[in-house]
Amino acid sequence: MTTNGGFEPVFCTIVPPHVLDRLAQAEDPVLHGPARRTLQRDAYERTQRRLTTVVGAPAVAALAEAEPGKPHRTVHDARHGTALPGTKVRGEGDAPGKDATVNRAYAGLGATFELFLKAYARDSIDGSGLPLDATVHYDRDYNNAFWNGEQMVFGDGDGEIFLDFTIPIDVIGHELAHGVTQYTANLTYFGQPGALNESMSDVFGALIKQYTLGQTAEEADWLIGAGLLAPRVTGKALRSMKEPGTAYDDDVLGKDPQPATMDDYVRTGRDNGGVHINSGIPNHAFYLAATTLGGHAWERAGQVWYDVLTGGELEQDAMFTDFATLTVKAARARFGEGEELQAVSKAWERVGVRTL
Amino acid sequence: MRIQVRRTGGFAGIERRAEVDTSGRADADEWHALAGRVMTAGRGAPPAGVPDGFSYRITVDGRSVYCADPRLTEEQRELIRRVLKEGA
Repeated sequence: MTTNGGFEPVFCTIVPPHVLDRLAQAEDPVLHGPARRTLQRDAYERTQRRLTTVVGAPAVAALAEAEPGKPHRTVHDARHGTALPGTKVRGEGDAPGKDATVNRAYAGLGATFELFLKAYARDSIDGSGLPLDATVHYDRDYNNAFWNGEQMVFGDGDGEIFLDFTIPIDVIGHELAHGVTQYTANLTYFGQPGALNESMSDVFGALIKQYTLGQTAEEADWLIGAGLLAPRVTGKALRSMKEPGTAYDDDVLGKDPQPATMDDYVRTGRDNGGVHINSGIPNHAFYLAATTLGGHAWERAGQVWYDVLTGGELEQDAMFTDFATLTVKAARARFGEGEELQAVSKAWERVGVRTL
Repeated sequence: MRIQVRRTGGFAGIERRAEVDTSGRADADEWHALAGRVMTAGRGAPPAGVPDGFSYRITVDGRSVYCADPRLTEEQRELIRRVLKEGA
């Protein structure tokens, strides 16, 4: 189950969570169904308790009729202004409208929800059915998308450099994954922990794309933001997990600055200490582990990464070495001494990150 | 008056810089007034920001202030937009 970021709210159940956990993993749906719903409901109650007693916020009314295990999406339109969240234009279960951007955001929220639920039994990004909110058409010619701590925000791009940021599903997944990180390890957005934070988002963004397309690690392109670059830009994507540093080389944008290994680690004060730059190194480690193992990347490599992110031992200020060491430990714990452990260990060796 | 904008961060992590020199411009007064309001509202150090948000440094005649998505004032947005659009 998920960590609560250090909070330990008092919510005592008769059936201990570890018993429900075992049942939740049973093959038989007669066993695992009720156990999973119970765990989800428990997690919801814990969150409610935390919200009302620790944070002092009124319990979020919208969650009252929320069904565990289903997304609760709302897409808003900022109408080219910057006030958030903007006007609600599509709610959960509403039919698609004429605005393709809205529909893409809605679908991307759903796909992200589905990967986390199906692959990792995680009910939304906080593990407790948190409503998924997105705002589109933010500002004018806004060449960006971001997570503001509560929701995703998407620009339309300017058409010269970037297109609509809802076009690539991995961008949507990337932003939502920032939410997952916030609710779990909460990696500080600076320097190496920040690069790890960024890499987590690229990893899960890529996995959401692969999951949606039904791709194996061999079939995937391992690109982030493919389809985002406007026609005049010389490049195939914003980042490449397979070959960091090769995604683009353009007279206006410059050249993809990402390193693939620690030998080329970039020391800079810009970009919060290069969080979008040095993320190339853990990105590449994930790519190596996933492709060495083959098959669906979310099942083994992705599981190890997810285990570390949510396992409670990853510190907010973790360095690459701390994270790598935990992935080796998690691979061993989850899969034993076999090929998963070897693939993860070798991946870090190849990118030059020490494991302890 | 020399007004420089440096934008870093963002989903793409790509830096952009632009500069406007207001001397000789017909709308120089407008620029000066806007720049003045921006310098008053800006922070002396980069604020925390949000994941993938843009981070801005605005420099007017050698003095810099900082701001970051999504908490920009209307004046900051306006000045940044104009400098990035019209500046070299």
